Amino acid sequence: MMAVFDTPEEAFGVLRPVCVQLTKTQTVESVEQLQAQLRAVSDSALQELQQYVLFPLRFALKTPGPKRECLTQSVVECLTFVLSSTCVKEQELLQELFAELSACLYSPNSQKPSAVSEELKLAVIRGLSTLMHSAYGDIILAFYEPSILPRLGFAVSLLLDLAEREKSKQIKIAALKCLQVLLLQCDCQDHPRALDELEQKQLGDLFASFLPGISMALTRIITGDFKQGHSIVMSSLKIFFKMVSFIMADEQLERIPQVQPKPAVGHRVAELVVHREAKWVKNTSDKLTLLIKKIVECVAVHPHWKARLALIELVEALLLKCSGSLVSSAGPLLKALVGLVNDESPEVQAQCSRVLRHFADQKVVVGNRAFADILSESLHALATSLPRLMSAQDDQGKFSTLSVLLGYLKLLGPKVNFVLNSAAHLQRLSKALIQVLELDVTDLKIVEARRWNSDGLSASPEPMAVQPWSRMQKRYFRFFTDERLFLLVQQVCRLLGFYGDLYLLIDHFLELYHESVVYRKQAAMILNELVAGAAGLEVENLHDKHIKPSPKELREIVTSILEEYTSQENWYLITCIESEEVGEELTMKQSGLQAIASGAHTYQGASFPAFSKPSATICSMNSNIWQICIQLEGIGRFACALGKDFRLLLMSALYPVLEKAGDQTLLISQAATSAMMDICHACGYDSLQHLISQNSDYLVNGISLNLRHLSLHPQTPKVLEVMLWNSDASLLPLVADVVQDVLATLDQFYDKRATSFVSVLHALLAALAQWFPDTDDLGQLQEQSAGEEGSHLSQTPAIPEKGLENTTTAEDIEQFLLSYLREKDVADGNVSDFDHEEEEQSDPPREDESDTGPDIEPPLPVQVQIATDVMERCIHLLSDKNLKIRLKVLDVLDLCIVVLQSRKNQLLPLAHRAWPPLVHRLTNDDPLAVLRAFKVLRTLGGTCGDFLRNRFCKDVLPKLAGSLVSQAPVSARAGPVYSHTLAFKLQLAVLQGLGPLCESLDLGEGDLNKVADACLIYLSAKQPVKLQEAARSVFIRLMRVDPDSTWFLLNELYCPEQFTPPHPRLHPVQLRGTTGQGSPYAANVLRLLQELQ
Amino acid sequence: MQVALGVSPWDGDGTAVSGRRSVDPLRRRLAEPQVTALPPRMAASPLPPPDPRFVLRGTQSAVHALHFFGGAQGQGHPLLLSGSLSGLVHIWSLQTRRPVAILDGHQGQCVTWLQTLPQGHQLLSQGRDLKLCLWDLAEGRNAVVDSMHLESMGFCRSSVLTRGQGKWMLAMPGSGSDEVQILEMPSKTSVCTLKPEADAKPGMPMCLELWQAESSPRPLLLAGYEDGSVALWDVSERKVCSRVACHTEPVMGFGFDSQKARGVSGSAEKALAVWSLDEQQALQVCKTHELTNPGIADVKIRPDRKILATAGWDHRVRVFHWRTMKPLAVLSFHSATVHCVAFATDGLLAAGSGDQRISIWSLYPISSDSSTSSLGHVEHREVGAHALA
Repeated sequence: MMAVFDTPEEAFGVLRPVCVQLTKTQTVESVEQLQAQLRAVSDSALQELQQYVLFPLRFALKTPGPKRECLTQSVVECLTFVLSSTCVKEQELLQELFAELSACLYSPNSQKPSAVSEELKLAVIRGLSTLMHSAYGDIILAFYEPSILPRLGFAVSLLLDLAEREKSKQIKIAALKCLQVLLLQCDCQDHPRALDELEQKQLGDLFASFLPGISMALTRIITGDFKQGHSIVMSSLKIFFKMVSFIMADEQLERIPQVQPKPAVGHRVAELVVHREAKWVKNTSDKLTLLIKKIVECVAVHPHWKARLALIELVEALLLKCSGSLVSSAGPLLKALVGLVNDESPEVQAQCSRVLRHFADQKVVVGNRAFADILSESLHALATSLPRLMSAQDDQGKFSTLSVLLGYLKLLGPKVNFVLNSAAHLQRLSKALIQVLELDVTDLKIVEARRWNSDGLSASPEPMAVQPWSRMQKRYFRFFTDERLFLLVQQVCRLLGFYGDLYLLIDHFLELYHESVVYRKQAAMILNELVAGAAGLEVENLHDKHIKPSPKELREIVTSILEEYTSQENWYLITCIESEEVGEELTMKQSGLQAIASGAHTYQGASFPAFSKPSATICSMNSNIWQICIQLEGIGRFACALGKDFRLLLMSALYPVLEKAGDQTLLISQAATSAMMDICHACGYDSLQHLISQNSDYLVNGISLNLRHLSLHPQTPKVLEVMLWNSDASLLPLVADVVQDVLATLDQFYDKRATSFVSVLHALLAALAQWFPDTDDLGQLQEQSAGEEGSHLSQTPAIPEKGLENTTTAEDIEQFLLSYLREKDVADGNVSDFDHEEEEQSDPPREDESDTGPDIEPPLPVQVQIATDVMERCIHLLSDKNLKIRLKVLDVLDLCIVVLQSRKNQLLPLAHRAWPPLVHRLTNDDPLAVLRAFKVLRTLGGTCGDFLRNRFCKDVLPKLAGSLVSQAPVSARAGPVYSHTLAFKLQLAVLQGLGPLCESLDLGEGDLNKVADACLIYLSAKQPVKLQEAARSVFIRLMRVDPDSTWFLLNELYCPEQFTPPHPRLHPVQLRGTTGQGSPYAANVLRLLQELQ
Repeated sequence: MQVALGVSPWDGDGTAVSGRRSVDPLRRRLAEPQVTALPPRMAASPLPPPDPRFVLRGTQSAVHALHFFGGAQGQGHPLLLSGSLSGLVHIWSLQTRRPVAILDGHQGQCVTWLQTLPQGHQLLSQGRDLKLCLWDLAEGRNAVVDSMHLESMGFCRSSVLTRGQGKWMLAMPGSGSDEVQILEMPSKTSVCTLKPEADAKPGMPMCLELWQAESSPRPLLLAGYEDGSVALWDVSERKVCSRVACHTEPVMGFGFDSQKARGVSGSAEKALAVWSLDEQQALQVCKTHELTNPGIADVKIRPDRKILATAGWDHRVRVFHWRTMKPLAVLSFHSATVHCVAFATDGLLAAGSGDQRISIWSLYPISSDSSTSSLGHVEHREVGAHALA
């Protein structure tokens, strides 16, 4: 570190020799010596000696004659060093230095920069820059006088030339920086003082002369090759907008007088001075517009995000400061801005949104008529070209086009109506949207996907955890694959709905919806989003104080759309080529429709398009499926839009949605379920079940009205079914009359629609059985005690059991003997007579009871009434031709018996009438039916055993036993596949059921023997294991009823041990059963006998 | 016969659909009640029976009285009051289609008549427990503020005439079996008892209507009697102005159009009778209209005096053109006797039945735009129907 010379005297002492040396011999060495000494001199001392030190340097530059470049370079560098440490305080010096430095790059005999080394260029540029920074205080302003114009212009053009033509990036950037400084637009900290208005105007006047040159050169640089790097573009953009926004600032231009004041300069210079009056502004602005357009187009797609960011800065500055003067550029500028809203770079996006918001806050667009007009015009133009662009562009192009559209809408806000009010433009806009949203309906899977769970809406639907918006079904569009495009269109529609005249838009798109099937799906999608937008769902609002439609208005609009969606011709579309049943319904539908449709209902150009083509192609069915899905999604959207207000629409909306929830097509039922979830969320219901049960009155209304036109609404029974599954007993008073309607309709259509009705009846009875579990035990007990006079019989099995378990006491034996004798009496006596008596006895007293009872019999509870009514129908339907129906009816019958089990007064007469067809099912029907019938038989046996005993033994048992016996050899021989056959299932069911039946029917000995005989064969080890098991279960039951005879029977079959008499006087007992281990019955008999022990 | 007679009661304002070109029709469409509006059509094919717009369930007992309330006064949404056999009065919101309140004031005895008073939110209910209750319904209250004892066990429904300044006149069956009692309300001062002359023997009064002609302030009473006659009483002079035998069976109900001085009555027999009053206040039967099935429980003329509806024992509601008595529609929905019908000021029709349901119908909507459209349509159709017949 060298000594520092603080005082001028000391410094002078040191510097003088080197300066003299330099003056004498102008070599690089002497310059370097000087520079070395200068480093040791303090800034303040150097300031004093500034002129002195500068002299030899300037002398070296000015010396005429050829010079070596390296000398010039080192002189300039030294000069720069001095200037960077000192201030230039004299106007004259500043001007001279400026001229001398500029001259270094300029060969006197050409207008071009001389061919000097890059190092020298850089040194000179830095020197100029440092010089401008070192100018002290006000002298810098004095520098910018008209008289300097030629010199300044020379420097400016020099710098521009360097920036444009040089190869070195460093030089380019330095030149641009220098230019910035030269034009007083430097953004470093060294310019403390802000310019006042007058100064600004003066500078503006001065710089205006350079504007054409600067702007054009910069434009060339900016629109140059992307490869030159983003920093150059950024700097150029910066200078461009700083210059333009300074010179064209509305603030300045306002104050320019119309008449040019006489300039105080010479004629030659005066020619260069520009007067910024209106005409000039107009001309300049026109030219600038061209340049700006070029710049915007180029930079908007610049690969580097920082360049795009700078573009946003440019737009912001120009629109804020020059909104008046550059009005003609506003179009491209705004377009650039809105186009960057969806930029891929988050920084750019954020900046763009910030600027947009700022504009909105400042009312830049809305407050400025001209801008609003320009924007509307741009939107007009865009709307016009949109259909073409949407079909011609690729996904990326569509994306940017739609981004621009979105941006326009965001900026215009409520003023978007200017455009919408023009019918032609609305037409274009809607056409483009419709076009871009066209779905690809060629996917086969859509039609194929089926819900296999055909039970309608399951009672416990999927959990509700899923968020409402995340359940969008995946759609395939014809004209794009990028998912972001759909989101953009969605945003566009929402913004339209948010700002636009909702009535106008809804009306327009409803009209399109009506116009053609081709538009329908897209129009529905748009309508959905319009409403969501109108409610402000996920809409970014830049404009405060925007008046949203009142809830009531919105509700009315939604009501009218809903009405369209759920109307006959838009809701009931063919979505599948289904088996016979649907085909049948279809023809029904058609004929039904024609009955109504002739004349009045054909007011739609294409009325019931789906029905008119029974041979619908896959595509049209796909299209129908999507239409329904979109409409369902719309209903969900509407619910979200209206919130709790949607409750008022549930009366019309819930029924159709529920109807679709049970649709066979997977997509539709998914969409419906998701719509219902949206409704749940919006209306504040905890679950779908809650939703359904709370609104069952509305559903009942729909159901009952639709039942009146069943051919048009074949889904109605399904809805009733779903509602029944999801409700509780409180629903009963509401459905009572509907049930009557159902029964009446069933009576009317039992040949055609029995299937759907029987399943409703099934749901109904299942619900009744669940809602009214047989709790009134008291009544049941009374009934039982009244009905079962031979109750002692049913108690008998308990006694021997006890006897077997415990040590036998004398009383037990006595009891046992007594009851044995009694049973023997019964067995010897005429059993059937006994039963008859019993029945005859049991019936009349009841009638007496009712006769002597109160004058009016209390009305039956509704559920009992319904169950009896249904059972009545079952009796008829039991012998339906269709097996499916018979099966279902048997199930219903089963449930009827369960519901009526404590109402013997109602049950027994009905059971009596149901018996003959039931026997027919048991003995003479498809095995499937036999299976179910057997189940009914068991239930019936469980509830009214006495009633059944005789009938069973007479009508059914022989057949059952016979079939068991005849089937046994088959099953004994059969292989493992046999267990999958129906015959096997039947055998199994009968074997499993016989035991409990014997017990509950309290069969007599003879019948028990028949049962036992039939089942014995199945104890053979040759039988399938399951059948053996079931047969064992029969015998276990039989053992409970009559242990002794069973024991005997088993032993007759296989006798495991020799019986040695307890006393030699007694005869040895020899049972018929073989004793060898080889008996096929050995294993099972042994197990059973063990049970008996 | 169940089918509408060649004319669709669905035919509403045809322009609503066809005129979708501009913004305005939508607004209009939205403002309209949600009626299935179809464009003009050729009335050649048989039409399906119209459906109720909706059905109110949950009274759990036969419905015997109906009355629309509110809406027109511009306070909130319209309500429908229904009185049931079990003695309950249900107040239904027509917006939510659910009961908003249930009034229990008649000890489980059938409610036969419901009427709201123009001032205050007051409701009169008449029950078979021989009580006439005055309810205060303002601000969600539902309390009996006053009640009166009725002398007559009959089925006769009372009638009210507003006299201004919070005063109103009440006609109700009196203590004698053939008497009608007139009271000044709310003071309950008896004005007079109208007893037919000794030789007339019309039997019990079956239905009453107090009214006054526009020209004179004298209150008049129309009464239908058990012997099938309708009588006009001058209340202030307590004398019968005129009496005419309309039916051979008891008059069950009648509707009266005071502007045209014309009325229509239904009875247990198979016919409706249309009668009119001339300038001398003499009643005369203009014509009778034969019905398919006997028994009319109630007759109501719509407030705009375009159509009328009858409640039939045959479970059906029949709709007629009031001026011509042309049958327009047979509304079959109920599965038991229809006991009562009522019209709202906006044209909605309600029918209450023994099947415990109340059906709400929207037919020939009263257009809010112009006063002529609806009737114009009806008359236009009628011509067509004639031509076809």
